[in-house]
Amino acid sequence: MAGRRNGLAVLVEALRTWLVPYRYGLERWSYTLQRISGVVITLYFVAHIVETGYVVGGPSVWTIRPDAQQYAERVWTETIKFLSNPLFDAGLAIIGFFVAFHTINGIRLFLAHFGWGLGRPTRPEPMHRPQSMSPTQRALFWASIAFAVFALVYTTNAFFGVLA
Amino acid sequence: MVSERTLMLIHYLTGLGILVAGAVHIGTVFLTAPVKENLEFAGSPFAVMGVYRNAILAGSLEALLLFVAFHAFNGLRVILIELYQSPRWEHAVTWALTVVALLVVIYGTRTIIIAYSIAQGVA
Ligand code: HEM
Ligand code: HEM
Repeated sequence: MAGRRNGLAVLVEALRTWLVPYRYGLERWSYTLQRISGVVITLYFVAHIVETGYVVGGPSVWTIRPDAQQYAERVWTETIKFLSNPLFDAGLAIIGFFVAFHTINGIRLFLAHFGWGLGRPTRPEPMHRPQSMSPTQRALFWASIAFAVFALVYTTNAFFGVLA
Repeated sequence: MVSERTLMLIHYLTGLGILVAGAVHIGTVFLTAPVKENLEFAGSPFAVMGVYRNAILAGSLEALLLFVAFHAFNGLRVILIELYQSPRWEHAVTWALTVVALLVVIYGTRTIIIAYSIAQGVA
């Protein structure tokens, strides 16, 4: 890198390499999707911990009050009433998609990092495919896409009952 | 400081841990009864209070909380230090994310402990 570049240029270049997987093969798609799914699930996770905090009555509750149970029940019932709308249902279906993808592709990365299911190293002749994307690894990548689509359909069905 | 090698090993191990604890969680919420029923406060065996009352399920939620908190914030750390490299930036990112992760773990643990106690008295 020639000298120090300004923060904006670094950011734009990084986002381009992360978010534009087109033209670099399956492995780049896997990388981009693993990142996006990781960040999306992390945001969901934090929101989910805040949400489940209302099971006991919300952020102000740190002790067991005498009416703890009635209070918690009232607050949680209001919370799920607030969360029961198509917007949150659709959000959960998208989370289902990303969680399913991240899980199976995570297993694929796990195996790859520990050297399982990879091809033998070869000379990098023109047009060769990287051995890190062996048939086994490609199959696992597609399995993660398939599982993600299944999860999307399953959660959509569970929350909207569209297939009922 | 903990070495990068150790952090990534824990990243992978927590990934495996999430696989197990996450399966238990998704299994209890989706597979034991219709989701809407399980999201109620009480009234069916795997409604919210039913889950927190059970020490094994409550313990597995705590495990899930710890695993995901580490895995998620370490993942963000990797992303942020790949974005830009300098010792000061790395230091700031690591500390900021450690604090946020701890806050999430403390808040979630509070929920589990109090919900466990309340649930003992729920029919
Ligand atoms: C189901 C079990 C899971 C497995 C097996 C798994 C596995 C993995 C693997 C192998 C990576 C790539 C690490 C790398 O190559 O640098 C990764 C990245 C990541 N994971 Fe997970 N993960 C799981 C669940 C989760 C969950 C539940 C979250 C969020 C709450 C999460 C958040 C992240 C983030 C933010 C990254 C990005 C780090 C990077 O790109 O290097 N993961 N995960
Ligand atoms: C969309 C599917 C999900 C639904 C409907 C759901 C619902 C719930 C519910 C109702 C609880 C309260 C305990 C219980 O009744 O079992 C809970 C707790 C919890 N969930 Fe989920 N969850 C989902 C996905 C996830 C995911 C993907 C993660 C991990 C990233 C997660 C992590 C947790 C944790 C850690 C707790 C314990 C929170 C605490 O008490 O502090 N959940 N969830």
